[in-house]
Amino acid sequence: MDPTIASLIASADRDDRSAAAALFAALYSELHTMAKRQLDRGPSITLSATTLLHETYLDISRRDQANFPDRPRFMAYAARVMRSVIIDYVRNRRAQKRGGLFELTSIGTDVADTIGDDRELGRISDALDELASLQPPLAQIVDLKFFCGFSFGEIAAMRGVSERTIQRQWEKARIFLHRALRDEKQPSFPE
Amino acid sequence: MVRLGGERWLALGPYLDTAMDMSLDERAAWLATLQAGDPLLAADLETLLEEHDLLRDEGFLEGGPAATLGPASLEGTSVGHYTLTALIGQGGMGAVWLGRRNDGRFDARVAVKLLNIALVGRTGEERFRREGAILARLTHPHIAHLMDAGVVSSQQPYLVLEYVEGETIDRYCDNHALDTESRVRLFLDVLDAVAHAHANLVVHRDLKPSNVLVSADGQVKLLDFGIAKLLTDDAGIAESTMLTRDGGWALTPEFAAPEQITGGQVTTATDIYSLGVLLYLLLSGAHPTADHLRSPADLMRAIVETEPPRLSDAVVTRVRAGSPAPADRAGSADKLRRALRGDLETIVAKALKKHPLERYSSASAFGDDLRRYLDRQPISARPDTVAYRTARFVQRNRAAVALAALVLLSLLAGLAGTITQTRRATRQAALAVAERARADRQRDFAMRQLSRAEAINDLNSFVLSDAAPSGRAFTVGDLLARAERIVARQHAEAGENRAEMLIAIGRQYQAQDQEREARRLLGTAYQVASTVSDRVVRAKAACALAGAIAGAGEFQRAETLIRTSLADLPDEPQVALHRVFCLLRGSEVAREGGEYSSRIQRVQEARRLLAESGFASPVLEMRTAMDLAESYRMAGRNRDASHAFEEATARLTALGRSETETAGTLLNNWGLAVYALGQPLEADRLFRRAIAISSADTAERGVSPMLLNNLARTLRELSRLDEAKAYAERAYDAAMRAGNENVINQSLMMRATIYRQLGDVKRAQNMLSELEPRWRRMMPAGNMAFASLASEQAVLAQTAGDLRAATAASDRAIAIAEASPQRIDYLPAILLRRSNIDLQSDRLQDARLRAETALRMERDAGEAGVFSSRIGRAHLALGRALQAEGRIGDAHAAFRSAAEHLAPSLGADHPDTREARRRAAETAGS
Repeated sequence: MDPTIASLIASADRDDRSAAAALFAALYSELHTMAKRQLDRGPSITLSATTLLHETYLDISRRDQANFPDRPRFMAYAARVMRSVIIDYVRNRRAQKRGGLFELTSIGTDVADTIGDDRELGRISDALDELASLQPPLAQIVDLKFFCGFSFGEIAAMRGVSERTIQRQWEKARIFLHRALRDEKQPSFPE
Repeated sequence: MVRLGGERWLALGPYLDTAMDMSLDERAAWLATLQAGDPLLAADLETLLEEHDLLRDEGFLEGGPAATLGPASLEGTSVGHYTLTALIGQGGMGAVWLGRRNDGRFDARVAVKLLNIALVGRTGEERFRREGAILARLTHPHIAHLMDAGVVSSQQPYLVLEYVEGETIDRYCDNHALDTESRVRLFLDVLDAVAHAHANLVVHRDLKPSNVLVSADGQVKLLDFGIAKLLTDDAGIAESTMLTRDGGWALTPEFAAPEQITGGQVTTATDIYSLGVLLYLLLSGAHPTADHLRSPADLMRAIVETEPPRLSDAVVTRVRAGSPAPADRAGSADKLRRALRGDLETIVAKALKKHPLERYSSASAFGDDLRRYLDRQPISARPDTVAYRTARFVQRNRAAVALAALVLLSLLAGLAGTITQTRRATRQAALAVAERARADRQRDFAMRQLSRAEAINDLNSFVLSDAAPSGRAFTVGDLLARAERIVARQHAEAGENRAEMLIAIGRQYQAQDQEREARRLLGTAYQVASTVSDRVVRAKAACALAGAIAGAGEFQRAETLIRTSLADLPDEPQVALHRVFCLLRGSEVAREGGEYSSRIQRVQEARRLLAESGFASPVLEMRTAMDLAESYRMAGRNRDASHAFEEATARLTALGRSETETAGTLLNNWGLAVYALGQPLEADRLFRRAIAISSADTAERGVSPMLLNNLARTLRELSRLDEAKAYAERAYDAAMRAGNENVINQSLMMRATIYRQLGDVKRAQNMLSELEPRWRRMMPAGNMAFASLASEQAVLAQTAGDLRAATAASDRAIAIAEASPQRIDYLPAILLRRSNIDLQSDRLQDARLRAETALRMERDAGEAGVFSSRIGRAHLALGRALQAEGRIGDAHAAFRSAAEHLAPSLGADHPDTREARRRAAETAGS
């Protein structure tokens, strides 16, 4: 029997590792399918990650019906997944040259040189994972803002705090990431 | 510190939090204090804080993943005196980069906008620089300074602007919980800036919250002042408020003034209007006309036609995410309403007047009244009179709004297939209500997707917005030509987008009956599409082209294009609407080629797909119903046609469009179908309605000559000869005025026939003599027209008593009619006339045989259960022949059948009906 996404979220909330993994896989599949569906509609639709997440949320919550967790909790997990979707897409696109899955926001059409870009994103992702192990809320903000494109205002509403708080947290996270990225490029000296 | 370990990071965290909230001076002092106590900590913090500053300057990670993927090649490049450091946005105008000065001179950060526009040659460049220089002179503390405007070697125009960080003014007011008075004071700063610009003859044209930022220390800054003007090209195109509101409806002209929508002059008064909308929003929390579920077309109409509610009535009590409700911050909704009532709302209303001349004449005047309000002094604006408000007059610029909506809708319609595909309802447990809600959401989503197609946005906004140079109204032709020019210049546009745009414009040309332009443009669209890998777009372009060339004699080619496209299109539900498009074009092609059954089949399939797709478009459904009706009629399936026409008319009426040209055409064609079914009474009603509608708008001259002649024919059938004559004359006159050869001839024929029936044989003969050479010039000898002519000659001769000439003419008529593909429609009537001549010539058996043949033909062609005047007449003729032969019983049956058919179709008073009844009575009881 397939557990619903709602129940997976509930379990993951309680730190159930295997549920978290299953949730990740399930969300990944949902987002991916949703994206494909939108894009098969025709000539280069430009798709936004926020819309994708929103629609996926609506879709799943309708299916799982009662007791589906609220949007903020959903987004907390989904944003992380979105990061992977995006990075995978970029990798895939590099392999395919042009005409990949979709255009995230409207990128100029002469995207000639994207070499090395997915590696940069991959590094950001690794650094984020590291930050997530220390301060999950900070990492989440980066996922939500950078990868998913939510605004400070939207994130603040989700968390129930002020925009200023979110902005500060973002700036902190950014320092951490920058450090991590920079240090990765250099060999690390023993402390 | 080299590597920032996890523990260290966590330890430093709280300190960072504190430090980041401080100003630079405070920070320095604080670090100094820390230094004394814990030097290592202070050093680490200082490093991190410096990095923080640097990252902020560079806009690290500000751009989203797109920045890492996108034009990364531009990062670090030089534009003018500046170096691009980070991509911070993609707006409707182009990309926006954060920049730093090249020569290392200390400078504030700048925003560099790389514009999407292709300038027109050297003159374009010079003008751009010149305009830029004018704008650069605009300096004011509340205006973000345009520092430079130029063109990079690669023809890339750019703008360098003071980079401003802050919240949009509406957000700022909410986040800082400003009360009404404070909001007004803040707004006065905005007015100050606008007044300054106006004094320098610069109009903003695009004032909206996202262009009015407030920095952390409460400083107002207006962005993009006059940028719209900078983008003017030779023909006077300007950017409008149709452009992107980030993440929202790009096509929502929420802040546009009525004149921007109708294509009137854009002046300083336009800015006043936008400021009025802004103030309205800041004070009440609501927008004067935008209802968030409104479609762009409705919104535009509302802006032009609908008076906004009073400010105090518009107070919004719902909460916007994270911020206090306007009512809450004032203490209560009632309190806020009281605060807004009276002078404030009068002031706002004056700024929002539809007519530019009725608004405040200047931003300073606007500001003065606000200051008077703050000082509790009487204001200069007068409140609206009751009459003004209740009358809701506003220039009913319907034509202009319709025009704008037309272009908009055509673009939307062109893309509708791409975007608004709803999902198949595969889930059972869905309530109807839920389904409707979901469809709405999907449509909203789809509309947002539509808004992301920026190329289309730009096009639409350019096309719709503008100040007509001489103040004259636009013609659709102007708009289309302009749209075309713009598309031609956007080289960088993706193939699919260009093709779609070209298709949309081409179709509009068709709608305007500019067939040659349409063919040209759709040909180009086809070429563009053939270079694209998306087969759906290719199919669409092919079908659009097919629709345009079929009428120009390239039927074979058109048919091939259609077939190939239909085969190419995948069979998936997402593609259904594209399929519908192709099928409808295919039906047009089939019509041109006279392939009636193919046409019917294509339209039927289109309707089926449309119904299945769940895509609700009443307009499309009405059109396809019309199409189907016409297809049936051309194929001779008049009963089916009549039903389809009924449906189409009902749909048209439901659309609220019963008073238009479409209705006129629809009713005319319906009338023809019904006439062909042998129901002249019905036809009479329909033709009259059609005439009434046509003449309502444009007076007599607007009524089609063909329509008048159709009514004349019907009236003659109904034996209302005087009326028939009058209409035939009108038809003739109208046809002569219009130079419509075809109808001139038809009406001549009609008049000849009527004169004959009225007994004026000489005149009738003259007309026939006039008519014959005209027809000989136009048509080959075997054409059915000559059969009608000969048949009429025959009756004329009969009337004059010359039976031999009558018979000879009738022979000719029958010979031609029998050989013609339209024999079913015309031969029976000719045979009946001949039967009459035979009777008079005492060829009784021939008379009966001919009547029998005619009856058989009419019955075969007729439709079961329909009372037809044609069948009735055939029965009548047969009855006469039988009666003459002495077969009274059979004659009686024939007369009764005749009466049965004639009474409902011709009316009880018709001579033929009365004759049938009389003879039925005569022959009864045998």
